[in-house]
Amino acid sequence: MADPKELTMEQLRERIRAAGVTIPEHRLAMVRKLLGAALAPLQALDSRAIKTVEPAVRFSPEGQASHE
Amino acid sequence: MSDEIAYATIAELGARYRKRDLSPVEVTQALLARIEKLDPILHAFVTLTADSALAEARAAEEALRRGDTRPLLGIPVAHKDIYLTRGVRTTGGSALLADWIPDEDATCVQRWRAAGTVQLGKLITHEFAFGLQFPGHRFPPAKNPWNLDHIPGGSSSGSGAALAAGLVTGATGSDTGGSIRGPAAFCGIVGLKPTYGRSSRAGVLTLSWTLDHTGPMARTVQDCAFLLQPLAGYDPADPASSRAPVDDYVAPLGRDIRGLKIGVPRAYFLEDVDAEVARAFEEALETLRRLGAEVRDVQIPSLKGTHSFLLILMAEAYAYHERDLREHPELYGEVLRERILTGALVTASEYTQAQRIRSEICRETAEVLKTVDLLASPTALKPATPFAQAFDPEFAFPKSNMAPFNMTGLPTLALPCGFSSAGLPVSFQLSGRPFEEGTVLRAGHTYEQATTWHTRRPPV
Repeated sequence: MADPKELTMEQLRERIRAAGVTIPEHRLAMVRKLLGAALAPLQALDSRAIKTVEPAVRFSPEGQASHE
Repeated sequence: MSDEIAYATIAELGARYRKRDLSPVEVTQALLARIEKLDPILHAFVTLTADSALAEARAAEEALRRGDTRPLLGIPVAHKDIYLTRGVRTTGGSALLADWIPDEDATCVQRWRAAGTVQLGKLITHEFAFGLQFPGHRFPPAKNPWNLDHIPGGSSSGSGAALAAGLVTGATGSDTGGSIRGPAAFCGIVGLKPTYGRSSRAGVLTLSWTLDHTGPMARTVQDCAFLLQPLAGYDPADPASSRAPVDDYVAPLGRDIRGLKIGVPRAYFLEDVDAEVARAFEEALETLRRLGAEVRDVQIPSLKGTHSFLLILMAEAYAYHERDLREHPELYGEVLRERILTGALVTASEYTQAQRIRSEICRETAEVLKTVDLLASPTALKPATPFAQAFDPEFAFPKSNMAPFNMTGLPTLALPCGFSSAGLPVSFQLSGRPFEEGTVLRAGHTYEQATTWHTRRPPV
């Protein structure tokens, strides 16, 4: 599971400034915990190790497009 | 009204309707009376449509007299309040939409209507399917019929509570990170999240386009199969809707599961699981073995990245709500507002990387499902949380056993497999290959018939 300490309060405030949104001071700890936990798998990831190729769209033999 | 009628299955109601010893109007009247008595405590319903329900029940009686054999004819259901209903307010559990009356039905609502169901009303949902209503909210949250001090799970909270309390026979739910299966687990009922694209999302409020699923909730697996049947199938109004052929979900129930291969990805799904839940799950596996299934451990290493699903969910939720959040922030529940705003803080790169992790989970899971027919896992890590804990704004999203199947889109059935020492339901889930809802339902039904968990009733 994530260690919310990996996202500092300073980094969080910088993200809030960049996004142009307002989050009240008394909710910052909650947001930091939530975002920190969600980001943890990415911080553990070497994105170059993922070999999948992402399709934008697929076409069936009948010519119908799909993004399933 | 006797519990016998309140908790009757679809097959039992249908048989009694056709024997003329019970009518849809009698059942509808009885359930409306039960709702009037119990819902002031449970808060499962946000809108009751008694008059139109009785009109639909009378129409069902007429159809029965004409020999109509549709299995859902006269069956009382209700919809999660993110499903649009023509002429009936659809609140999304939010003050923002508190008085909104849509002029169209969601495809699922249309399809259950066409199947002859009696629609009793709208069931409370967590606000926009994402945020529990905190004290002081315009809409109070539903309570768990097994213990009123505990949440019924979410976001299909009213659906779970109403089914457990015998207020409806079937309900719609939606599942973005477990919102059908969580309430099913916490309320001791059955919930099916079909394959992504199997059941239409047209006319259902969005939480996260790439993770949202619609599906049925009921008290038995067979009832879920009956309720899925009309929902399944292509809908041009939902771009994710699939043209894959629709199976008969009811007829194969009862066929044995000898030789069925069931994989258990312990390395992810058994971590952090409450001891009572783990014990009930192991007993469920033993029952499946006794019924002839071949159960063995499997590995899906990429599941360790599952929690990144929240980046996808929050970024997409913010994209959907951005304008309303800027124009009417005061109409969002305070904690929900900040949760959605967190989506604004996710960078494009992080969203993309989360989708790449998702692709890896999909690829590895598909490989494993070449070697086994189903995956089994505990649905929730522990039984229902007390409100006192859930009302703590700092209460974090725990590791989820349900989210992997929103990431992969695989059909997943949650069903009861025991009770905790405190008397709260415990559940496990069975997941199958894409569009193999039939296999999932068959295994679940066979397990259910060998156990009695689904026959227990809450003390309401």
